[in-house]
Amino acid sequence: MSPTKRPKERIGVYVCHCGSNIAGVVDVAEVSAWAGKELEQDGVVVARDYKFMCSSLGQELIERDIKEKGLTRVVVAACSPHLHEPTFRAACARAGVNPYLFEMTNIREQDSWVTTDKIEATKKAKALIAAAVGRVAYQKPLESLYVPIDPNVLVVGGGVTGIQAALEIANSGQHVYLVEREPSIGGHMAQFDKTFPTLDCSACILTPKMFDAGNHKNITLLTWSEVEKVEGYIGNFTVTIRKRARYIDESLCTGCGVCWEKCPKKVVDPVFEAGLGYRKAVYVPFPQAVPKYPVIDRENCTYYLKGTCKACEKFCPTGAIKFDQQDEILTVKVGNIILATGYDLFDARKIPNYGYGRLPNVFTSLEFERMTNAAGPTLGKVVLRDGVTQPKSVAIIHCVGSRDKNYNNYCSGICCMQSLKFAHLVKEKTGGEVYQFYIDMRTPGKTYDEFYQRIIQEGANMIRGKVAEITDTARHPSEEGKLIVQVEDTLVGKQRRIPVDMVVLSAGLEARADAKEVAQKFGISCSADDWFIERHPKLDPVATMTDGVFVAGACQGPKDIPASVAQGAAAAARVLSIIGQGEIEIEAATAIVDEATCVGCKECIASCPYQAIQYLEDKGKAYVQEALCKGCGTCVGTCLPKSISLKHFTDEQIVAEMIGAMQTMKSFETVEAA
Amino acid sequence: MYEPKIIGFLCNWCSYRGADTAGMARMKYPPNVKIIRVPCSGRISPELVLRTFREGADGVMVLGCHIGDCHYSTGNHRTAKRMPVLKKLLEYSGIESERLYINWVSAAEGEKFATVIKDFTEQISALPPFVETMK
Amino acid sequence: MSDRLSSLRETIEKILPDVDGVIALRTGPGGIVAPYLFSKEHPGELAELALWPKEPVPDTLKIILRAHPDAKLAIVCRGCEERGIVEMFKHAQFSLENVTLIGLQCDQQEVESCQCFKPFTVHAKLTVGQPVEGVRDPLMAKVMAMSQPEKLAFWKEEFSHCIKCYGCRNICPQCFCNICALEDEKWVETGRLPMPNPSMYHMVRAMHMTAKCVGCHECEETCPADIPMAVQFRLIARDVKEMFNYEPGAVMDQKPPQLLVLEEGEYENTGLPH
Ligand SMILES: Cc1cc2nc3c(=O)[nH]c(=O)nc-3n(C[C@H](O)[C@H](O)[C@H](O)COP(=O)(O)OP(=O)(O)OC[C@H]3O[C@@H](n4cnc5c(N)ncnc54)[C@H](O)[C@@H]3O)c2cc1C
Ligand code: SF4
Ligand code: SF4
Ligand code: SF4
Ligand code: SF4
Ligand code: SF4
Ligand code: FES
Repeated sequence: MSPTKRPKERIGVYVCHCGSNIAGVVDVAEVSAWAGKELEQDGVVVARDYKFMCSSLGQELIERDIKEKGLTRVVVAACSPHLHEPTFRAACARAGVNPYLFEMTNIREQDSWVTTDKIEATKKAKALIAAAVGRVAYQKPLESLYVPIDPNVLVVGGGVTGIQAALEIANSGQHVYLVEREPSIGGHMAQFDKTFPTLDCSACILTPKMFDAGNHKNITLLTWSEVEKVEGYIGNFTVTIRKRARYIDESLCTGCGVCWEKCPKKVVDPVFEAGLGYRKAVYVPFPQAVPKYPVIDRENCTYYLKGTCKACEKFCPTGAIKFDQQDEILTVKVGNIILATGYDLFDARKIPNYGYGRLPNVFTSLEFERMTNAAGPTLGKVVLRDGVTQPKSVAIIHCVGSRDKNYNNYCSGICCMQSLKFAHLVKEKTGGEVYQFYIDMRTPGKTYDEFYQRIIQEGANMIRGKVAEITDTARHPSEEGKLIVQVEDTLVGKQRRIPVDMVVLSAGLEARADAKEVAQKFGISCSADDWFIERHPKLDPVATMTDGVFVAGACQGPKDIPASVAQGAAAAARVLSIIGQGEIEIEAATAIVDEATCVGCKECIASCPYQAIQYLEDKGKAYVQEALCKGCGTCVGTCLPKSISLKHFTDEQIVAEMIGAMQTMKSFETVEAA
Repeated sequence: MYEPKIIGFLCNWCSYRGADTAGMARMKYPPNVKIIRVPCSGRISPELVLRTFREGADGVMVLGCHIGDCHYSTGNHRTAKRMPVLKKLLEYSGIESERLYINWVSAAEGEKFATVIKDFTEQISALPPFVETMK
Repeated sequence: MSDRLSSLRETIEKILPDVDGVIALRTGPGGIVAPYLFSKEHPGELAELALWPKEPVPDTLKIILRAHPDAKLAIVCRGCEERGIVEMFKHAQFSLENVTLIGLQCDQQEVESCQCFKPFTVHAKLTVGQPVEGVRDPLMAKVMAMSQPEKLAFWKEEFSHCIKCYGCRNICPQCFCNICALEDEKWVETGRLPMPNPSMYHMVRAMHMTAKCVGCHECEETCPADIPMAVQFRLIARDVKEMFNYEPGAVMDQKPPQLLVLEEGEYENTGLPH
């Protein structure tokens, strides 16, 4: 029966009733009696059934048998190993049997719950137990490997999430490298004037955090920088960072602002001003920027384009302008990584019938944010595209590009609240009419619905319906010179055309355009919508499938500031808990090469998803770096002479398991034939 | 009629959990498939499948995570390349290639799992027992 | 043939002073043709240079390079042999840094005798002879035309003659493993002849030849039972080319596809469900 000579082991088999969950369908007494008798020649010395194997009494049963009957291997037939494998492994360990000498087979989720015929279910349980018994004798004790944790941490993205995470970690005394691609940290939040639901001033609450992050002794702030390469594994990442040339000597620059005052080149700022305002070719995106040093935008700088100008250099009082500065490549070592790269705004141009880009007085939400910002391009005045006229009526359209099968199917989460915030700001700043066009109103946060009530009180018109079109073609003299919002008002049950002066599109949140590339760089995955995937949506929301890489904030999915900050702090806590352990246990079931037989063909090396296998030039053999190996076994499936094997899933074990099941099924046939 | 003997190699992260999901929803399906849990569908070498046939299995299933969802990122890409070749070899050797079944079942797809098991069991029942081929 | 022989001799004579040796065929004592290492020390031996019958020279190259890794060598190779050398190189069996390939293009008669699909070299800078078109092994079509039970019966009959001498594996330039899965009881029944049906020995080997078999026919030629086992490898090679655009030995730096992630559009070719 065995693939090679079967090791002599003393095996205990335990069949769980799980109350009536299993026993109601599978004849557990019959199964355990059968195992005790029929599997005796395979080493089974005791087989029992018990009401609840996972209870402390059930576990004690195993522990007692290990001690009294000298069991060397244990098989439990019960629920899914995803539920109770750790429970029984621990019980074995307590009684002195290595946890990897335990095997669990699933006769509940994969038998009693899915099989109608009781006799068939009982037979299936026998086959599954025979399979487990078949394999368990070949199992080998494994010891977990521990690797030390480098206490330094990399945080990628300096929005409110990344700042929060960096501060939490830095305050605990660990060192953080905070890498931000833009010239300043702050992210989207820095663009806003007021934040829902409290309407407190965004800058007032964010700037102090930005300042702390910029001046913390435990934070190395690398703005205008990007991560190029990540190598290694939890505890031991080596990260290559490109610090792009600012063309400014940071040690000389005082941030006085003379350079951008004197720079003659005005450029539309598509990032921070969302295209609504201008900046210079040498610039800081906003006055409270951290760090205070400007960058020269090489693409637009007259000197780089035409070879002359250098106005900034002439006027800089400290001689900090350095036109010949080069990108710097830094290599840092960290033990953990937090990704907080945020989101992009849905491009409203993709919905042509909303007219963004064609109809001048259709604005995006981010444009509107900049408009209401006292430090923004209109100095906080709500005005039409001409820059002077105050609108008398404003339409705010919800769910632009969200909850729409043609664009993004999901709810962007923040737009209802953000639209209500806009309604308030319009009322406050212009006193004009506000129309909200919504599909459903979603205000599930703390004090969010109260905010909604308040906006209704303030007199916003709420119209339930998905806007079909925004047009400037008047059908009636009263529509002349207006933007007309065409909608089916589902509360009144009729089509309406509402003329307004200004339309604001509450565009949804999307994953960053480069999310896939970033995910690949850090070895994590993206959902179908390109949001980073967390390890578990409920129970492990900030970890990822890659140990040591965490995600927080809007890069994991649409969320507002409170949720982003909470995730930033949560990711920091996870990282600090790992650092606190000093070392971390890594996968024990890793691959291993038998050097004596390996022919050095490199096939396994090419097939490993984690580049965990090295080629030893001197020996001409493959070698698995245990700390990198995740135990998938792809290499084993590849190797032709079978010189590489995966611990705990060896060919021997799998074949023995398969044979156990096959032989039992065949034995039923013989019985039936007889 | 005979009761086909089928071995299913299921990856631990998606398909095995998909089978659990079917169980939690109490979906019913035939008992013929005996599941063997492996870390990733990429672990399944052609030799393991062939050995299973040699043991007299009437059908073999290899189920993994959907392409793009493999717990080990791209382990199943190798499955998607190896297994079709093995199916071809079965065909060229005169063995019904439908005896080897490859599909992707996520942890959430309990219903798909149950359907896949039902359909495959039926499909195999329509073929003669593999022992006939081995004669 | 004599034409090719003399121009090959000239080519070798030209390169001989610059290398430590040239691997080519030689008619030895008793008229036996075998691979030989010609050297500048014994230029006269080139009189015994031979072309045919072909021998598995990739293995000879490997043996010599293993013993003398720094040797500067040239090797006369036909299309299939060149492919064999390239695949061995890809599998890190030796380095080609100091190796000069001399391509020997097969003539029509040789192509007929081998039923070779690609009887010419593509990498060798030096070549001798005019390339001719390859042919498709007619047995491929014949097997494809059989019904499933006919295929089963065909191979059952063929493999019932197999004496499991391991000759096909031993001669194959791509079967370079130190230990072999075919000798492992886990995968292949040991000690049973005629081998059980279906033949695990031949199926495992067929899988191992995926994206590896270069179509040299050495295995079939060496088989004492005249079994055309490599027809299966050729059929699979055709599929691998269609599905993953890979042809053994064709491109120096292309890795075997089954080791790599799926490329854009490849999944659609696999016939797997969506
Ligand atoms: C119009 C609008 C109004 C809103 N108003 C409110 C409100 O009033 N209240 C509220 O609670 N929420 C509001 N939100 C939601 C709020 O913007 C987000 O919750 C919050 O900004 C998420 O923070 P974050 O740090 O995760 O992402 P972001 O703010 O997007 O920050 C991400 C940072 O990472 C950087 N980055 C990206 N990729 C890389 C990379 N590869 N390498 C290095 N750096 C990178 C970016 O430059 C950026 O600085 C609003 C959203 C919108 C669109
Ligand atoms: S695939 Fe196998 S033989 Fe080849 S290098 Fe890897 S372990 Fe060695
Ligand atoms: S088991 Fe997977 S991760 Fe480990 S070396 Fe093999 S292929 Fe790489
Ligand atoms: S050479 Fe022929 S007889 Fe020998 S093992 Fe191969 S197929 Fe069988
Ligand atoms: S399997 Fe046969 S034809 Fe193919 S490379 Fe090997 S010896 Fe040549
Ligand atoms: S049959 Fe497979 S294991 Fe054996 S030598 Fe050939 S490639 Fe290696
Ligand atoms: S883990 Fe499921 S296929 Fe790889």
